[in-house]
Amino acid sequence: MDASSAPFPVRHKKLSLDIQVIATQIGSMGTTLHARKEEGVSIHPTFSVSVIFGKRDEPVLVACARQLIEHISNCGSSRPLVLSLGLKDHSVGTLKGVVTAVIANRLW
Amino acid sequence: MAQGNLDSNGDITCPTSIVGESSSANVNAGLDRLRINSADENDDDGAVQITCFSDLSDDLTLHFQIIRLHKQIYAWIGCNSAKFGHLYAAAPTRPNNMVNVTSLLGGASDNTGSGIARRIVLKTGLNVVLACNIPKDSPMLEAAAEKKLVSKLIDLGYTKSKI
Repeated sequence: MDASSAPFPVRHKKLSLDIQVIATQIGSMGTTLHARKEEGVSIHPTFSVSVIFGKRDEPVLVACARQLIEHISNCGSSRPLVLSLGLKDHSVGTLKGVVTAVIANRLW
Repeated sequence: MAQGNLDSNGDITCPTSIVGESSSANVNAGLDRLRINSADENDDDGAVQITCFSDLSDDLTLHFQIIRLHKQIYAWIGCNSAKFGHLYAAAPTRPNNMVNVTSLLGGASDNTGSGIARRIVLKTGLNVVLACNIPKDSPMLEAAAEKKLVSKLIDLGYTKSKI
């Protein structure tokens, strides 16, 4: 997985920024997922996670997106997440590694 | 993917550096180009190249981010903001070299951005994932953005050479 330090061209404010993450081992974007926090009156937030491109039968990918959007929500941000995962193996260890790496490079 | 710092107002700022300016008298453009390669620089297939730049056009600022992956290009076009916009995927299909494009997030296949994605595939022969934040009903702006993006792709050597 490559961690980029390329400067983003836009000076952006928090509220208007969507979060996009690409993590790849295979040299391509792989499966793309969309995760967002849903509007609701309940105390406990609910989240919607869907695969928009790629493998739809890998629960680990959905779990990864779900963990990340919950973490983003717990940090006080309600921005949606677009996550692209191109992974060689879909194990729980890889999932934890991805989640750890994204949180370590957080922008929200 | 991008890193920045929080300033006192809570805004995220990312440093940009100007490495060159267009000589055109009509357009002020700030170009910021950065290439990040993996440890093996002789193997282009394994390198991930990221290019970010901005362009000022008709009082609107267009922002671009191009990520070159192996046999795939991801591009983001922003208009005055860092919003993600609509997401499209386009790819060449066999046996005849037709191009198919689909909308992944927001929009439909005939919206702003889908045509750009389609034409990039025609020029590069690679799979393309394009995120486009250009407002609807702005064909001139869309054309300007596409022209700028394609010229940068040619400059970076991602396009197929015409024989």
